[in-house]
Amino acid sequence: MTATSPDVLVIGGGSTGVGIARDAAMRGFDVTLVEKGNLTHGTTGRMHGLLHSGGRYAVSDQASARECIEENMILRDIAAHCVEDTGGLFVKRPEDSAEYYQRKLEGLVECSIPATELTAQEARAREPFLARDIDKAIEVPDAAIDPFRLCVANAKSAQDHGARIETFSEVTDLLVEDGEIVGAEITHESGAGKRVHGTEGTVEEIHVDHVVNAAGAWTGEIAAMADIDVEVRPSKGVMTIMNVRQVDTVINRCQPKGDADIVVPHETTAILGTTDEEVGDPADYPEEQWEVDLMIEELAKLVPILEDARTIRSFWGVRPLYEPPETGTDDPTDITREFFLLDHDERDAFPGMTTIVGGKLTTYRLMAEQLVDHLAGKFGLDSTSRTAEEPLPGSEDESVLDEAMDDFGLRSPVAKRSAERLGSRTADVLDTDEPNPVVCGCEAVTRAEVADAIEQSGTDLNAVRIRTRAGMGNCQGGFCSHRLANELHPEFDEGQARAALDELYQERWKGQRHALWGKQLSQAMITYAMHALTMNRDRDPATSEDAPDFGAFDAGPASTPGAAEDGESADGATGVVTDGSGGDRRGD
Amino acid sequence: MSDTESRDSREVEQSDTEDGYEPRDIFGTTTEMDLRSGADNCTKVGTCDAECPVAEVDDDFPGPQFQGPEQWRLSSKGDVEIDDSVTKCSNCLRCDSGCPSGVPFSEMHNTARAKYVLEDQPLSIKKIRNRILANYRTSAWLASKLPRTANFFMNNGIVRWLMEKTMKIPSEREFPEFATQTFREWWAERGGEATSKERAQEARAQRGDAPVHSDEKRVAYFHGCYSNYNTTQVAKSMVRAYESLGYEITVPKQKCSGTPMFANGRVDDARRHAKVNVEHLGDAIEDGYDVICTCSSCSLALRQEYPDLFDLDGIDELAAHTYDALEYLRIHEDLEAELEGATVDAPDVAYHAPCHSRNQGLGRQAVELFADVDGVAVTDVGDSCSGISGTYGWKAEKYETSMAIGEEMFEHMEAVDAETGMTECPTCAMQMEHGTGYEIMHPIEVLETALT
Ligand SMILES: Cc1cc2nc3c(=O)[nH]c(=O)nc-3n(C[C@H](O)[C@H](O)[C@H](O)COP(=O)(O)OP(=O)(O)OC[C@H]3O[C@@H](n4cnc5c(N)ncnc54)[C@H](O)[C@@H]3O)c2cc1C
Ligand code: SF4
Ligand code: SF4
Repeated sequence: MTATSPDVLVIGGGSTGVGIARDAAMRGFDVTLVEKGNLTHGTTGRMHGLLHSGGRYAVSDQASARECIEENMILRDIAAHCVEDTGGLFVKRPEDSAEYYQRKLEGLVECSIPATELTAQEARAREPFLARDIDKAIEVPDAAIDPFRLCVANAKSAQDHGARIETFSEVTDLLVEDGEIVGAEITHESGAGKRVHGTEGTVEEIHVDHVVNAAGAWTGEIAAMADIDVEVRPSKGVMTIMNVRQVDTVINRCQPKGDADIVVPHETTAILGTTDEEVGDPADYPEEQWEVDLMIEELAKLVPILEDARTIRSFWGVRPLYEPPETGTDDPTDITREFFLLDHDERDAFPGMTTIVGGKLTTYRLMAEQLVDHLAGKFGLDSTSRTAEEPLPGSEDESVLDEAMDDFGLRSPVAKRSAERLGSRTADVLDTDEPNPVVCGCEAVTRAEVADAIEQSGTDLNAVRIRTRAGMGNCQGGFCSHRLANELHPEFDEGQARAALDELYQERWKGQRHALWGKQLSQAMITYAMHALTMNRDRDPATSEDAPDFGAFDAGPASTPGAAEDGESADGATGVVTDGSGGDRRGD
Repeated sequence: MSDTESRDSREVEQSDTEDGYEPRDIFGTTTEMDLRSGADNCTKVGTCDAECPVAEVDDDFPGPQFQGPEQWRLSSKGDVEIDDSVTKCSNCLRCDSGCPSGVPFSEMHNTARAKYVLEDQPLSIKKIRNRILANYRTSAWLASKLPRTANFFMNNGIVRWLMEKTMKIPSEREFPEFATQTFREWWAERGGEATSKERAQEARAQRGDAPVHSDEKRVAYFHGCYSNYNTTQVAKSMVRAYESLGYEITVPKQKCSGTPMFANGRVDDARRHAKVNVEHLGDAIEDGYDVICTCSSCSLALRQEYPDLFDLDGIDELAAHTYDALEYLRIHEDLEAELEGATVDAPDVAYHAPCHSRNQGLGRQAVELFADVDGVAVTDVGDSCSGISGTYGWKAEKYETSMAIGEEMFEHMEAVDAETGMTECPTCAMQMEHGTGYEIMHPIEVLETALT
């Protein structure tokens, strides 16, 4: 702890937390970030993936709209490898208000959001699956953003500037001395450092000059540890993922507000959303099938093909909405989307901690900048943030994607997808002398990319998944989760690989429960049959404490004496042709 | 689970409505077709990969699962990158018939190939060669003008060596013989439709089983290129067999079915030809004719590839009214009764069901049909692929693969107690002959001997 580098502890590994960690580390703070799950464990990993142009707020909340368009333009530069320039449309159906359409158009102009009107025909030429009976549309610079890659890149940059990032490390208490918050008690699920399954947990006390509470919907819980009252009003929203992209442009419905009014193309998929309903506990709320049905029914009015299309999973996220006490808004959709910076010294006369809550992923950088400005003021450090200019790791050199790049011996769609994910790190990761087979076929992820992710995140295969997209395709891990676990070996042992596999498999199943009809039901059945039966994973003797009861096997056909006695075929292999004459069989 | 049920029933209802999944009529050109939705069907079990004859012999070929659903799902519109492995696919379509989930492989492969050829493949000798092979009809037409010269030159050693060097057509291949008189010339000389009507009426009078003036027993023959220019005996046998059963035949104006063009990614060329075919065969259908083909790839093109790839007036009608020549008779005639007690003077044959027949569900028809006919024993040589797949085996770089795939079929043919082969597909016939030296017949030729 030197005088020139004040220590800060950032609580929360969502977009807000990692954004703060990066900015603070770049400005000379000594940063530790703790996150109770993996990065993006909270709302950031459960959002829609829209890089707002601001169009959605152009009528109702122009301050937010202006912030959005500015940040939108910045992120296209500094996070190029996380952003896909899809463009967006506000589509008006015949029954939608003409007056609102007009106000939207005016609002866009007022907020300096580039907008172009399209006739129905022009809109359908651009997006052929739009409904035949739409009226017209407005084109805006919406884009798609990958929250996982964005957070991983921010965390990596923070680390490069000296920050310590601890995942699976939960704040279990705030340390208070003389009416001041001086740090926190951290419970590491598997010790400090990268997560490794089977490592024993530890408790650590971290003492710092200032604590930043960026725990999103959980900021209230953190504050409560020091008896401070921060009333977050979490509001849930559902998102349904389609197996393929029906549209390549963000499709918004041009209506004042409403559920199920947006489709965002995201990587290989399209994500439908969403709802807005207040919940009591951000970690425990009902996930209901009607919400999913509503997405499909409503959005099929814009894109009819959705009605017949395959859904691979659904998930819910909670917005960390906050409003100052006594505002008293009833409907959560009316609560402001702005963010709030609560200095508890000023607010509650409780020094040592600042809470940041609310906002959007699109404005994460701005939120971080303002928070770190505030800290810099407190500690007399550099007051200019450089995050608007300095690209994130992976986005330093955009030309890699445009150049006719080396395909590293990969099939062209695989090479293209890999390069889109890895950005300027492509050559570092893919240039290998080792064989580099595709491990996840759905998302075109090769062994080299998986190895790179494992290096960053230990045995946590969900962390590998969010870095690479492995397991996010149509089979939802059915055909690749075991291959991924296999990549952990030999660095990690068999038990750790099994534990990691089980965890990934469970996580993938969770979201599929809301998509069990049609083809995804077949897919789930195939996955089950393969894992439970073919791989015997539901009753694998290797996972049980007791040794298998070999005595329970019969001796095999009596006509082949000796086969069971030579010790090698004790697993019942008698009767199997082993002399090579079966080697001609094809197709198996 | 009631939620699940309600969705299922909705799905069924929806597919009947106007706004359902209709990717086809949205795009002007084939290469713009958005086939990503087709990937929804795939559950990744890989039946397709197990069926693919090319993947079996070529470890570098990633197989149909990648070629089809994976590649399409990974693509984004306006930025579809087709991997060059698509040129290794022979378009046998075994993946298409094998997939238990209905992934539209035929559309996917054809569209991918077209895209690759039009946009990605560098211009090269191979490309020009592929174009010549694709436009077989043009070359065949030229050759037929001077058939003897063509036959001589085509199979002359020096010329062939030059061809391999300059065009990359393997010198091992025997060029097909061109008939000295095309089928159409023969047909015209014989008196065309009028003669056919007369003969059919005679046959009907003799058989006494149908009115002498019949609107029902009328078929339009799509001969395609091969039986017009090369195996004219197949076409002639069809004519005589059909007439003997009382059918009047017409031979409308027509162009290539498009099969070789699809396989070489020349979907634009295929479209031009298809337009002519749809128009003229369509006229015949309107006049009450059904369309029959003796080549299994032609019938597959008319029935499946056309409506999959093109949006032309009357294309669905044509697909619905097209049949394989044997299939048609098996539907409309009691062939078993006709053949009862028949003895034919034909050699025993080793029969290979072409992949494209199998794709239409016709893989067993020849074996079933001749099962009780004396004088000919038809032995099915199993479900291996012949490996030639139209123009595929005609490319020097594919020759090895083509022969490796065919190996199993050759072995099985030789194992059968017969010295003659039989198949419906003219290029399979070429490969069978090339690999075994047998003479190859078409089932319609045997049928003709049995009926007349
Ligand atoms: C349905 C939905 C759709 C959305 N769509 C969009 C969109 O399209 N575009 C957009 O810009 N924004 C969108 N948002 C908003 C955006 O997702 C959030 O504003 C943003 O992700 C919030 O990030 P955060 O870091 O503040 O919170 P979080 O991501 O929730 O991060 C907080 C972190 O704190 C951790 N934490 C909690 N308690 C503790 C503890 N005791 N110890 C350690 N760590 C702890 C949590 O695990 C969590 O990871 C959407 C939100 C929802 C709900
Ligand atoms: S056979 Fe069909 S469902 Fe199975 S992997 Fe191949 S394309 Fe997919
Ligand atoms: S068409 Fe034939 S060669 Fe091509 S991928 Fe399918 S099975 Fe393989």
